[in-house]
Amino acid sequence: MAVSLPEVPLVAPAGNAAVVDVFAVSWWRGSRLRENLELYLPLTGLVLMVLACFVGPLIFPIAGPNSGSIVYANVPPFSPGHILGTDPLGNDLLSRALYGGRISFEVGFGAQGIGFFLGSSLGMLAGLKGGIVDTVIMRIMDMFLAFPGLIIAITIAVYLGPSELHVIWAISFFTVPGMARLARAHTLRFRDRDFVVSAKLCGRTDRQILLRHLAPNVIPNVLTFISLGIGIAIVAEAGLSFLGFGVPPPAPSWGNMISQGQSYISEEPYQVLVPGAFLFFTVMCLNLLADAVRARISGA
Amino acid sequence: MVKNVAMRILRSEILRVVGRRLFQSIPVLLGVSLIVFTLLNILPGGTAGAILGVNATPQLVHALNVRLGLNHPFFIRYFHWLWQALHGNLGNSLLNNVPVARTLGERLPPSLEIGLAAFCEALIFAIPTAIAVARRPRGLLDRLNIAISMFGFSCPAFLLGILAIIVFSVKLHWLPATGYTPISDGLGPNIKSIILPSATIAFGLFCGYTRILRADLVDQMRGEDYIMTARAKGLSQWHILIRHAFRNALFNMITVVVLNIGTLVGGQVLIEQIFAIPGMGLLLISSINNRDVVTVQAEVTIIACAIVAANLLADVLYMVLDPRIRHGRIAS
Repeated sequence: MAVSLPEVPLVAPAGNAAVVDVFAVSWWRGSRLRENLELYLPLTGLVLMVLACFVGPLIFPIAGPNSGSIVYANVPPFSPGHILGTDPLGNDLLSRALYGGRISFEVGFGAQGIGFFLGSSLGMLAGLKGGIVDTVIMRIMDMFLAFPGLIIAITIAVYLGPSELHVIWAISFFTVPGMARLARAHTLRFRDRDFVVSAKLCGRTDRQILLRHLAPNVIPNVLTFISLGIGIAIVAEAGLSFLGFGVPPPAPSWGNMISQGQSYISEEPYQVLVPGAFLFFTVMCLNLLADAVRARISGA
Repeated sequence: MVKNVAMRILRSEILRVVGRRLFQSIPVLLGVSLIVFTLLNILPGGTAGAILGVNATPQLVHALNVRLGLNHPFFIRYFHWLWQALHGNLGNSLLNNVPVARTLGERLPPSLEIGLAAFCEALIFAIPTAIAVARRPRGLLDRLNIAISMFGFSCPAFLLGILAIIVFSVKLHWLPATGYTPISDGLGPNIKSIILPSATIAFGLFCGYTRILRADLVDQMRGEDYIMTARAKGLSQWHILIRHAFRNALFNMITVVVLNIGTLVGGQVLIEQIFAIPGMGLLLISSINNRDVVTVQAEVTIIACAIVAANLLADVLYMVLDPRIRHGRIAS
């Protein structure tokens, strides 16, 4: 499935995704160093990035993202005191990139969390009930898929006004349909299994079947796509902020840092390259992780 | 003779499917337009407020709402809009009272040209690359391609666009950094002005297309009986790849190409912003910012129509490629 962004098809590969018991996959393969590296290297990179953004500024003495002085404007990278240089207002770029990363991760996890919760609930409901409920839910999801996610997100973000919470809502809005499709596809595969039928025969209500019997089987399969989804959400946030519809400046975000730096690309390209590198590294870790998880599951 | 051909075309399965899909797309389009209309109308921050600015009194806002027809109930406005749109009248911009259709006519060509150029570039490079890579899975070329694709997947288009400007415009001075030269000002400058934006979009598409096509080619080459037959006949590896496996490996790629059209439009908004191209994307941003509901509505409806049309095209392509679907033996 294409993972390029923002041109990515925001549909999770629903139909042909294999149903496997995620818990039965061996996540550590004794002596096979390469396979383990493929999984745990990006995971380590990602964890380090999250720690650097959320814990780093608390441990190390880093200037605040907006505490710079104009006297130190446009200091090039690798200068004493400002390892990655400063922006035109004299703010430390490393500090801005780390604080901006907080927003990226919050939006990525938040939006994907909401999308995951709503999407998989709707998808499982549609899959379990079938009939008219299924048709109505899935046709509505199809309509949302029929027009570009970024444009819905821009519309919602603009009308609600720029703020981090609104960005999360806007992005989660277009992650729901993909998740719903995926959850429905997996639900359909379990719906007629013996354990669900016997639960029905025992007189369990739909709600109990959904929560106790279907969810534990469906959720792990949906979760394997969440790494990809977080990457998509982080790029979407950066895109929104780049267009000025995301987190309002002076608060830093990778997107609005890139947007501010664009005016200076002829003299100081590092203004773009620093936040760009953070964004690139994070999304690459998420994509590599998604690839490794998928390979591990399909090879299990 | 002519009559026979005409009858065959009329009775053909392709036309029946096209007709059925066109019919099915009516509720989808109605739904999309209703969703957009609802979104644009229930969200806080009204048009009148945006036009009048921060100093607007409630009386002024009300007067403007009456003048713009925004005081009518929601469904009356929606059906009024729908009725007019079905007659080809997309309304006048709430901002400057210019017919939306005229504005769209000015803004569509740059976007369309760049989007089409991007698709063509991506396909022209992706298909030979995928075939070359599929010849030796896990070989050197394949690994190189995996690395390039991973870069492409992880580098958002707007970042890639800026990097391209830094390299090709700022450092090398080969191409203009921003702006769009219409084709009426000469073919050369026109092409020069669309190379960077279209290549930026194309690179992302290229990465996706090569990986998908390569995976399907490898699948075909491994498991299918007709490949074994072709090998037994003594055909060369290239011949089998290009003449036999390629056609059968196209299906997933077509699906993704079509799915991409929607997201491509979204991505193009960012690209137009970076390269300062006066297309649909910039228009969309400015009209959303100005709460110009009529323009946004028209634009999103057109985009949705394009996506529905692309889906239809994909179905027709499936039928052209696979005679089993064409003759209705597989439920499409």
